[in-house]
Amino acid sequence: MKWSSYNKLEELNEHDEAALDLLKRRLMFVGLLILCFAMLIFARLWFLQIHKGEEYKTRAENNRVRKGTITAPRGALLDRKGRELVTNRPSFNIVLVREDSNDVDKLLKQLSSDLNVDISVLWGKIREAGNTPRHIPIRLLEDVNWQTLAYVENHNQEFPGIRVEAIPSRVYHYGDLAAHGIGYLGEINKKELAARDADIYQGGDLIGKMGLERLREKDLRGEKGVSFTEVNARGFEQQLLTDVQPLPGNDIQLTIDAELQQVAEYLMDAGEKAGAVVAMEVKTGRVLVAASNPVLPIGQFVGGISHKNWNALLENPKHPLINKVVQAMYPPGSTYKMITAMAGLAMGVVDQNTVLYCPGHYSFGNRRYHCWKRGGHGAVDLKRAISESCDVYFYQVGLRVGVDKLAEFANKFGLGHKSGIELEHEKKGLTPTKEWKKKRHGQKWQDGETLSVAIGQGFNLVTPLQICLMTATIANGGTQLLPQLIQKVTSPEGDVLEQFEPQVVTELGKEKRFLGLIRDGMREVVQGKRGTARKVRIKGVTIGGKTGTAQVVRLKQYKHLKEEDIPYKFRDHAWFTCFAPVEDPEIAVTVLVEHGLHGGSGAGPVARAILDKYFEGRLPLYAEETKENE
Amino acid sequence: MIRVDRRFLHNFDWVLLLFLGAVSGMALLNLYSASYPPVSWGMPPYIKQCYLFLMGLAAILVILTFDYEELHSWNYPFYIFIVILLLIVLFAGNSAGGAQRWINLGFFKLQPSELAKLMLVITLASYYSRKEVDGGYGLKDLVTPVALTGLPFVLILKQPDLGTALMLLIIFISMTVFARISWQTYLVGIILGGGATVLAWFYVLKPYQKRRIETLLDPGKDPMGQGYQILQSKIAVGSGGNFGKGYLEGTQGHLHFLPERHTDFAFSVWGEEWGFFGSLFFLGVYFCMLFWGLYIAMSARDRFGVFLSFGVVVLIFWQAVINLLMVLGLLPVVGIPLPLVSYGGSSLLTTLLALGILMNVRMRRFQIGQKKEK
Repeated sequence: MKWSSYNKLEELNEHDEAALDLLKRRLMFVGLLILCFAMLIFARLWFLQIHKGEEYKTRAENNRVRKGTITAPRGALLDRKGRELVTNRPSFNIVLVREDSNDVDKLLKQLSSDLNVDISVLWGKIREAGNTPRHIPIRLLEDVNWQTLAYVENHNQEFPGIRVEAIPSRVYHYGDLAAHGIGYLGEINKKELAARDADIYQGGDLIGKMGLERLREKDLRGEKGVSFTEVNARGFEQQLLTDVQPLPGNDIQLTIDAELQQVAEYLMDAGEKAGAVVAMEVKTGRVLVAASNPVLPIGQFVGGISHKNWNALLENPKHPLINKVVQAMYPPGSTYKMITAMAGLAMGVVDQNTVLYCPGHYSFGNRRYHCWKRGGHGAVDLKRAISESCDVYFYQVGLRVGVDKLAEFANKFGLGHKSGIELEHEKKGLTPTKEWKKKRHGQKWQDGETLSVAIGQGFNLVTPLQICLMTATIANGGTQLLPQLIQKVTSPEGDVLEQFEPQVVTELGKEKRFLGLIRDGMREVVQGKRGTARKVRIKGVTIGGKTGTAQVVRLKQYKHLKEEDIPYKFRDHAWFTCFAPVEDPEIAVTVLVEHGLHGGSGAGPVARAILDKYFEGRLPLYAEETKENE
Repeated sequence: MIRVDRRFLHNFDWVLLLFLGAVSGMALLNLYSASYPPVSWGMPPYIKQCYLFLMGLAAILVILTFDYEELHSWNYPFYIFIVILLLIVLFAGNSAGGAQRWINLGFFKLQPSELAKLMLVITLASYYSRKEVDGGYGLKDLVTPVALTGLPFVLILKQPDLGTALMLLIIFISMTVFARISWQTYLVGIILGGGATVLAWFYVLKPYQKRRIETLLDPGKDPMGQGYQILQSKIAVGSGGNFGKGYLEGTQGHLHFLPERHTDFAFSVWGEEWGFFGSLFFLGVYFCMLFWGLYIAMSARDRFGVFLSFGVVVLIFWQAVINLLMVLGLLPVVGIPLPLVSYGGSSLLTTLLALGILMNVRMRRFQIGQKKEK
């Protein structure tokens, strides 16, 4: 037999009749045991149903205890300095328990005329509830004002079945600040309800629908309390017997700095700019600013957004529903030139002394590739090529390195893959390679395309967060960090449940020695005489940066027009990314203005204002014109 | 290896099928009432249970095609399979009430801990049927069965699912005692058991589990908290009186006083609507089914058959007793379903598979096809 292989005990003759009979005799005792328990159960049934039957019948009729839930206050969201961004306040809803009302029709008519609300709204709420059990309260009016509240409380005798329910509701102390990241709450829908645990959620509960409210639902929601109310035979509530107070949710402290975020959102808003602003601590990966404009009007979502408002958001050409920090992709434009420079240096095709001549264009194949400066830059070295953003220089570096190496270095700086930040629907961008094109388009890579890639156009796509991450990696000496939004999570008792730790994603090898040269070039962009972002300078702090212009697919018919005359949606996107102070970098700031034309003028001032605020009270950081450390 | 012999068909266990049909019919009737009025979305529980019941019947047919002796060789692969499922649940399962218990299969959520109960029955039956020790099993002989029980026990306890873990322990004790153990083993067992209980109370049990036990010992201590379920269940059953309130007329259930009324507390709905005599009838049929199971054990052709059918009876019996005593307010709320009656796919399928094994033992009670051996 097969099983005997694992049988270490001695095998016995299975068909030993005597032994089998002995075994079967024991079954008698088992039968007896079952009988005993059966008798016990019958006796208990007799006791409950016959002996005490009448008593329980009365209890079932008269002494009913109904269990209800008390919503837990959600955890608060704080900024890095402990300023309250989102907390709770009590809000009052008018609810109807149909079981307690003998004439719902009459009741609603009375209510609608007394409170001056449209009766169809009230009926609508009841229809929405569908066939939920009649004892479950239906919310008729949410978050009512105190006059309504006082009226209903004072006239409760006239409204059988109508009750006031107090639940915690969200308060946004800074309005729409960082709305895309924080997200909003909404009533749980049937699909969400079915996917979740019935012990924790029930119909009518609020649940995080977007942003951290959704991602950190488990931390924020807390634990519901329970109340026990005595109700009479017809379901009328008599009195509260006892309750278990709810346990508030955990508080989450963000790495976001409310003041800096405000500066970013205000300036973008004031200039009617659409786009994104990201600021990050370069040594830790803490995200200080994550702004996407236009901001999400979070107030519209409280208590459910109206159809009209939702459609307006959907159809807005500036896409307020998209969190442009991570969910929108743009060509990186000239900000990509640092990658090309890095690849060139690391592969040894150029060094700091390599001088190339720029006549204003570069001929390759049978095409002429132009430099943005029609007249040409003349003889330029790498540092000048960065500070003056010479396209011709980088065309040649790109060609020498090849597109696959460009992509390899781009990846080392955080482009082409998700950063892993705790935000939803992060896009990974695109760093094109030969293999990618073969797979995606089924075509061979053309070397001419390498030229476009080398100056950040062509197939290249990045998110604003990725450019900030790239800048931070250049600034901190080659360590790619995980951008993080959460400083710590604290329980209501004050225990720290989760604490920020910097997390290294990858680190550059020995090629990190070239970063000093690149930082020098970036320094010249802002501090140099001919830099493209001289306007960003702040007295007392040296800034390194890079401007960029991301081409939007442009139609020929607009080519001859002046930039200001080109229709909005065909204008170029403006990039500016920077870090400061150059001597010992602390912060990286990236600004993208959609259709903002030029990096220096379109995006630079926003970055400048953020740096100004960040270094406020600490300037001048270094004595006049200190020498560079590198 | 499939041996279909006409004599097997002739020996088919119509009696057990009749009991099974009667109990399941009443259970579905009850489930309809317990989930009444139907919700507007999703499949109503009684329809879902019907489908699973049909699936289970198909599984029984499959089980009947081979000789139960094959389970000896299927036992260890099955064991390993279940342990892997338990590990998957522990690391990737869906959580309910803070516990990881299911693997979502789309049309239903598989709870491997339910299958683990049946797996343990087969494993222990296979083990004990191979050896009879004079004077009963000593401690050394029990190392393997303890290890075989311990692994799934710990995995299920980790989920945490105290009720099911306890069931494994009860199955182990029942089958081991049935296999006969020496008096020294009894002594050590009692001492270890006592020690473990004390340790469990202080280190293993979670506060909510302690509360449930305390509530039972002293219902006055927390009448509105943990006592609520038990109290409402007692009121439901008690108010049923002699003949009950009538089908679909139970107020406790339909006014939502009764929690978990289609799962663990399904019997309170029956008790409320059909009264003392209705309950007596229902439980009468249910217990007769168990006695018939014992009769099958009596008629089994070999030790393995006896142990298997004994194990299946014990599996269903203890779950039923614990559930009923809980519903009737004599045991704490531990989350053990009433087999065949409580709503839940995994429990139903496991029970039907177990009954399939029982039928198999009955069908092959004569020494047919044994000639080839030895």
